[in-house]
Amino acid sequence: MQAVNDVAGLLFGPDDELRKIIWLTLRMSFFSVLISSAVGIPFGVILGCLKFPGRGLVIRVTTTLMGMPPVVGGLIVFLILSNSGPLGHLRLLYSLEAMVTAQVVLITPIITGLTANTVGVRYKQVAETARGIGLSPSKSLSYTLFECRRQMIAVLLTGFGRAIAEVGAVQIAGGNIQHKTRVMTTTIMMATNMGRFNTAVALGGVLLLIAFLINGFAHFFSKEEDA
Amino acid sequence: MIQVLGVRKEYTGRCVLDVPSLCFEQGKRYALLGANGSGKSTLLKILAGIIKPTEGTVQSEAAGKNAVGYMPQKPYGFSFSVLRNVTMAIDACPNRKEIAKSAIGAVGMSTLINADASKLSGGETQRIAFARIIAIQRKLLLLDEPTASTDLNGIDLLEKALLNYCGETGCTVIFATHSPAQAMRLANQVIFLQQGLIAEHGESKQVLHEPQSKAAQAFLNHWKL
Repeated sequence: MQAVNDVAGLLFGPDDELRKIIWLTLRMSFFSVLISSAVGIPFGVILGCLKFPGRGLVIRVTTTLMGMPPVVGGLIVFLILSNSGPLGHLRLLYSLEAMVTAQVVLITPIITGLTANTVGVRYKQVAETARGIGLSPSKSLSYTLFECRRQMIAVLLTGFGRAIAEVGAVQIAGGNIQHKTRVMTTTIMMATNMGRFNTAVALGGVLLLIAFLINGFAHFFSKEEDA
Repeated sequence: MIQVLGVRKEYTGRCVLDVPSLCFEQGKRYALLGANGSGKSTLLKILAGIIKPTEGTVQSEAAGKNAVGYMPQKPYGFSFSVLRNVTMAIDACPNRKEIAKSAIGAVGMSTLINADASKLSGGETQRIAFARIIAIQRKLLLLDEPTASTDLNGIDLLEKALLNYCGETGCTVIFATHSPAQAMRLANQVIFLQQGLIAEHGESKQVLHEPQSKAAQAFLNHWKL
């Protein structure tokens, strides 16, 4: 009971650091998914619906990148944004932008792959019927996207779930700086190492709750309604 | 008139259709008969322009946006109302709702006009897909097993609607079926396919009652039994 009180005190007490950490985590995850979707969805639609030379290779590369270890993604962004890297002059390392960039590197292949899979299967069914009644390819595609709307929301939520729970890449690219780049996962890791278990448990609980809500929504949107 | 010239279709080196020459006359109804994998659907898809042949050409007088209507074996029911599923084929017509309602009525689906088409059964979806095809005047109908999932009442309605439509429009119909009885009821001519080749082609009565090829004889033996 004491532990619950301690956790509630940390979350709703006068010190707003934990609430700022949660807010920063949500912002980072939101912008990561927003940018990844802007790139990944059109690319996924092209990959799922169009046939072009080298498509098989692109699909295999995308599938491989879907399983990229987060620390590798973080390392790539670190090397690019570090002072000696090609974009070092932008001075973005250890910032929210750097963490979002690392997340985008990780999430874009996931959104691309899932979109290609979802839209590709449906496009085959829709296009045959749509072309059979004289509809243009662009109309076939727009009907396909309309028919995939529920699954696409689930794809976005899956991306968001991955972003919010990720630790390796944001630790490397963000640096876990207090009041600047400290997010929920890096705080949990740090608090555990320092023996501040109440803080770690409080944030772990919030993270689990958010993950549960996201999964619930994803399940709700991805399931087909009963016929 | 539609002419098929030297059409050949291969999938990963395996020939699934080889039609050196075939001619479909305007206003006639043709049944494509044959076992599973005989090339019926492939021929229909090539005629509809859904897939391209590996070799050969199809010359058709039925050109234009809505001249050809193709109904796939498993048509898609879009997740909006049955009425909208039919009007989507005739978006340019000013009185599309009335036309669609008439087509839906012709296939006996008036009671489900506001139902979500994505939640209908396979047979009901086929009836909606057929209404979508006949909602507008076309020169050529290509139907891939249009009543495969439909019950007996639905088959009767669809066949009547098809014959009425043909009478009104004078369109050419090419349909695939596994039912010799349906071929007899609907078609002027029967084309019997076996392993991608035309085994027999002629007047319906002649092919169905006095088949010359061994493949057609073996296939129709099951029917007679």
